[in-house]
Amino acid sequence: MKKIILLLFAVSMSSITSAQETFPVNGTSNKNHTTYAFTNAKIIVDADETIENGTLIIKDGLILLVGTKINIPQGSVVYDLKGKSVYPGLIDAYSSYGMPETKKSHGGGYPQMESNTKGAYGWNQAIKPEVDAIKLFTKDTKSADEYRRLGFGTVFTFQKDGIVRGSGLAVTLAENRENELIVNEKAAAVYSLDKGTSSQDYPSSLMGCMALLRQTYLDANWYKSDKTKKEINISLDAFNNLQSLPQIFETTDKLNALRADKIGDEFKINYIIKGCGNEYQRLDDIKASNCKFILPINFPMAYDVEDAYDANYVSLADLKHWEMAPVNLFAFEKYFIPFAITTSDLKEKKDFWKNLRKAISYGLSEKQALKSLTSIPAEMLNIGDKLGKLKSGMIANFIITSGNLFDEKTIIYENWIQGNNYKLNDYNTVDVRGTYDFSYGPSLHHQLKIEGDLDKLKATMLTDTVKTSVNVVVSGYSISISFSTKDTMGSIRLSGNITNDPMKFNGSGQTSDGGWINWSANYSSPFISTAKKDSVKKEGIKFGQVIYPFCAYGKQIDDRDGFDKLLKDFKTRYDAILIKHVTVWTNEAEGVLKNQDVYITEGRIVRIADDIGATKLAFAKVIDGTGKHLTAGIIDEHSHIALSGVNEGTQASSAEVRMGDVINSEDINIYRQLSGGVTTSQLLHGSSNPIGGQSAIVKLRWGKSPEEMKFARADGFIKFALGENVKQSNWGDVNTVRFPQSRMGVEQVYYDAFTRAKEYDSKQKTFAALSDKAKATATPFRKDLELEAIAEILNKKRFITCHSYVQSEINMLMHVGDSMGFKVNTFTHILEGYKVADKMKAHGVGASSFSDWWAYKMEVKDAIPYNAAVLTKMGVTTAINSDDAEMGRRLNQEAAKSIKYGGLSEEEALKLVTLNPAKLLHIDNRVGSIKVGKDADVVLWSDNPLSVYAKVEKTIIDGQIYFDNEEDAKMRIEIQKERARIIQKMLEEKKGGAPTQRPVMKRRQLFECDSMQEDYLEITE
Amino acid sequence: MNATAHIGNDNVIENSIIGLKGGKILLVADAKTANFDKTTYDEVIDATGKHVYPGIIAPNSTLGLTEIESVRATNDFRETGTTLPNVRSLIAYNTDSKIIPTVRSNGILLAQITPRGGLVSGTSSVVALDGWNWEDAAYKTDDGIHINWPTIQSRKFLDEDNLFPGPFEKNKDYIKQTEVLKKLFADAKAYNELAVKEEANLRFEAMKGLFNGTQTLFIHSNTVKEMVEAINFVVLNKISKVAIVGGKETWMITDLLKQHNISVVIARVHDLPTYPEDDIDLPYKLPYLLQKAGILFCLNNEGDMEAMGARNLPFLAGTAAAYGLTKEQALKSITLNTAKILGIDKTVGSIEQGKDATIFISTGDALDMMGNNVERAFVKGNNIDLNNDQKMLYEKYKTKYGIK
Repeated sequence: MKKIILLLFAVSMSSITSAQETFPVNGTSNKNHTTYAFTNAKIIVDADETIENGTLIIKDGLILLVGTKINIPQGSVVYDLKGKSVYPGLIDAYSSYGMPETKKSHGGGYPQMESNTKGAYGWNQAIKPEVDAIKLFTKDTKSADEYRRLGFGTVFTFQKDGIVRGSGLAVTLAENRENELIVNEKAAAVYSLDKGTSSQDYPSSLMGCMALLRQTYLDANWYKSDKTKKEINISLDAFNNLQSLPQIFETTDKLNALRADKIGDEFKINYIIKGCGNEYQRLDDIKASNCKFILPINFPMAYDVEDAYDANYVSLADLKHWEMAPVNLFAFEKYFIPFAITTSDLKEKKDFWKNLRKAISYGLSEKQALKSLTSIPAEMLNIGDKLGKLKSGMIANFIITSGNLFDEKTIIYENWIQGNNYKLNDYNTVDVRGTYDFSYGPSLHHQLKIEGDLDKLKATMLTDTVKTSVNVVVSGYSISISFSTKDTMGSIRLSGNITNDPMKFNGSGQTSDGGWINWSANYSSPFISTAKKDSVKKEGIKFGQVIYPFCAYGKQIDDRDGFDKLLKDFKTRYDAILIKHVTVWTNEAEGVLKNQDVYITEGRIVRIADDIGATKLAFAKVIDGTGKHLTAGIIDEHSHIALSGVNEGTQASSAEVRMGDVINSEDINIYRQLSGGVTTSQLLHGSSNPIGGQSAIVKLRWGKSPEEMKFARADGFIKFALGENVKQSNWGDVNTVRFPQSRMGVEQVYYDAFTRAKEYDSKQKTFAALSDKAKATATPFRKDLELEAIAEILNKKRFITCHSYVQSEINMLMHVGDSMGFKVNTFTHILEGYKVADKMKAHGVGASSFSDWWAYKMEVKDAIPYNAAVLTKMGVTTAINSDDAEMGRRLNQEAAKSIKYGGLSEEEALKLVTLNPAKLLHIDNRVGSIKVGKDADVVLWSDNPLSVYAKVEKTIIDGQIYFDNEEDAKMRIEIQKERARIIQKMLEEKKGGAPTQRPVMKRRQLFECDSMQEDYLEITE
Repeated sequence: MNATAHIGNDNVIENSIIGLKGGKILLVADAKTANFDKTTYDEVIDATGKHVYPGIIAPNSTLGLTEIESVRATNDFRETGTTLPNVRSLIAYNTDSKIIPTVRSNGILLAQITPRGGLVSGTSSVVALDGWNWEDAAYKTDDGIHINWPTIQSRKFLDEDNLFPGPFEKNKDYIKQTEVLKKLFADAKAYNELAVKEEANLRFEAMKGLFNGTQTLFIHSNTVKEMVEAINFVVLNKISKVAIVGGKETWMITDLLKQHNISVVIARVHDLPTYPEDDIDLPYKLPYLLQKAGILFCLNNEGDMEAMGARNLPFLAGTAAAYGLTKEQALKSITLNTAKILGIDKTVGSIEQGKDATIFISTGDALDMMGNNVERAFVKGNNIDLNNDQKMLYEKYKTKYGIK
């Protein structure tokens, strides 16, 4: 044994000294160019090629030859690997191996408007393209050893901090000097949507991160083309230099993967996306991204659901994800999406093989697994010519195993990296498993049974019928045994030699009283493996189906492949619905029509008539509407549901952020609002700054992806805000730094922004008018997404929805508009609108208000519930909105309050939540009333829709039923069943000894205008 | 005369006669059959086609304790400290709050003014929403003590920046907090059994009524595990009058509630379900689930904008009626049931002979926003002013614009 260690030491020393040209040697030099030959091995060259009984020859850290019938050069060290397999060393394409820790610095709680990075760098602390991981890299023996034990020989490593993280490098996990470990010094550039340790306020939201990244691309481009270089910017320069590398983007949710891809599309970059493991929940969209992925295998631990009440804390999504997470890799393979596998995100690296085998038992092929751990990551990192396969000329990174790498019983013996052997297990260790006749000292005729894994032997001694557990340790040809029985009065410790053929142990040992005895054991019968449960398990694996969205009340989609999908799409397109004998609230000149039939197909309202024969329309789903009411779908002009983040309040203007970037299709409130008849919502930025972000108008197409939810061809809107929120009146004494702090300042923010936007716009137009030749020599135009959005307002391509309360500020913004050449489209909240209704009418602005909110802050002291009625009577287009996930599903009731407060007619009241918001959003040509040709976005009510007793029976969008009260009742039962099924499975898992986690309550944050932070669930998951 | 009278006890008299005199209800009868002497009364109101209801009672309310939520100076509902049974809401009740007139003009004529915060928030009182000062307004002084049962899981801060709310975690202090309650109750009970006290203890004194059955213990809790523990706690302490406030998960423990005769002041009906997988209408149908199980319950409006939102109490009942209750049961959940839970049902809560003349007339169905239009309201026979600041502003601008 000693000899082996010495030899090993010599081997590794030799290669260090051999290649370090520039380093002086202390002592005599020790050049070593030994050739090593590995013979009789099963060589897995790559996932597609295996050589049985092959030979591998390496020298100077490189592979010389691989194949059969190879002449072994003279003077080679030969290792006979009969019965063993050789695989390429594994590659982890995502790690922070050897990187220093990063820590967040704190500014003492006060706002920090500027970057803390000193020097000629860019303006934002979260953009760190200048980080060059090679300059930070130091090898880490402990961590390297952890990787090597798993079979890894190479990792990609980078500093995991910031939105732009600079470049990372590919290094081997050998123990040589750092200078020798680097395979590719700039292997890839790395990005994320997490600002990391940056203490700068901006960006504080997901959409802010996306906007910042976009602007960085634009700025870098501009910087490159600006030849004058009046300003030197290390960050932008570095950013440009990163662009030739592979681009890796870390994401923490399936939707973030789609978001990253969206940015990639805008700048013609196909990111390699580091996923998070839940991509299977939106695989069609993931596939459509055309991106390659790096996937973790950190499957969630089972929850401890023994307590029925505690189990309630675990959502259906979490239960299902627990069950389905191991299927993610297989799903990628099935969809032909290329991916590498990483150990990243694993809490314990040692779980790697356990989890990978689990993924294989869920369908992942071993071939794919091998590719994803070798050639695919190698190609991703542009080191495919050096690593990932066992071919001549490549780096000698390989592992020697007892058999199939993916088999649970397989042992990794040695991990060779750059020609250095890192021995993990000794393959010369004798397999001593079996049954022996065992005697020690005077005590004869015991049976010794040695079982278990080679690296973890288990032994028992049988004396008559008494079983005693025995500790057996084998090292080379030495064996030691210890045990204690009732008769021995303490431990007996025996040491001895192993002789083979036939197997026999001999030696001496000490009893508990210190006396020496001899002992022996003679082989009597072979070891029979009892562990065959695995294959049985494989067939038994069952898991539920993906539901869309992946949340309670999500629905399965039966077949989403190929022709079946086409057929289904075709069929649904022509789905027809005929609603008979219903009271129709048209919102048109016809008013309310009794006992009508309404025919819907191809997503449109096709006919409204007294009696439409169902015979001709045999394919239509017929709904009896007797005694029921049909209205246009409710439109919420002011909503913050279905969003991942709502405020980028760190600057007075955040016109560059887009709510459309952060639509969250998995929010249960979409479904809940459908149950209240809402079909369209404007998802608004919050009200923390005078110029907020760009809104998204969506239809509540429950189950569809964020992009599919967007209202097609809708005009662009932007949120503005006035009053206490923008001047941070109620944010405590710390927030007194950001401009503005008074209504006076708010006006100046607008004048400044619009003045700058005007100049920007004219510069842009001038530049655009230049000939290509002139453009080439002119000072390049810097595209600024913030000013671009404000200029769009001036060019009537974007429209303002402005959060407002008191009359002075309402008046002010109309004045700013008049003098700067724009009109305010909508004042939202507008609780003192009634005081300036005449001025609003003159300006041509609409209103979207609350029915009866007041007294929650100083600026709503004079709010009155008669507001909507006064504005309506004054001829201002007026809507009632929610700004509240709960109220959003009772907007019909809120509208009805205008009958009580101010005496609007029932039809006028209904228009407050249907046609009027449609007008405010410029979509009244498509939705808002029941009219032939308009979108079939309609709601069937049990009663007069303005009555508190009215319930929604069906909500239809684009002619498809998205909420159905009968269906809902069924789903409730199914949800309970599905929960119960998985809970039973979890209980089994716990019984089987699996570790569990305690359930904790999880509640999504509900966003309102004032919500300043992101949902913790978005951040922590 | 001639109105549809919703008695509040499930009964309706389609064409009724209701007589009020000396602050009391003198007569409730069917107009067709009743013997009725006009000369007994000073005024006869013809309410043909209209509806008469008992005054609505808002339990567990901060009405009069707050004016503008975000302005600290106007908030008087939370005291510092954790166990404050002796803190009394009544004396902070501001009869001149601008919010009160906007609430009573929707038919809410009584309220239980309730302190918030801490483990033991303090002592509530029931007031009539009519009075020159709090002494005037007091209807049942110090009716109950409110405790917030600790939660087993609590929200922690998100990160170093102290953003709230962050993820839930196990409340490490749960045992400690419940111990504080247990000790307080045990000590107070022992103290109140003594004939001669060594030294006076205001907190213990304030709890006397809990042990002799003159006060109700209101336990604010929503989650099932905690409620079960709270019920064990009151049984152990032999507290006879107990109500759970909130009780979002009470539908899971109706047998236990029934066994111990515990009533529920149901959390705001217009709320979202707690969990994504909950029935989407769970908060709407919770009253029905408790009705079905035979539990005494009433509705309350605690939560965001609760004081000003108290005027929506009838519509909470309306929604409960849409989701299972009959309309009269729904009415009862904001009138007679509430009166029973607050211990004032002998004098208010329904339109019955001998009770206080605390009633109102609405032109339409008061539980429906389309119908709720309160024309006249009486508190103990007092014909109250239904005008409010909001109406005045409305009138002012109607005049300015010349609109109707």
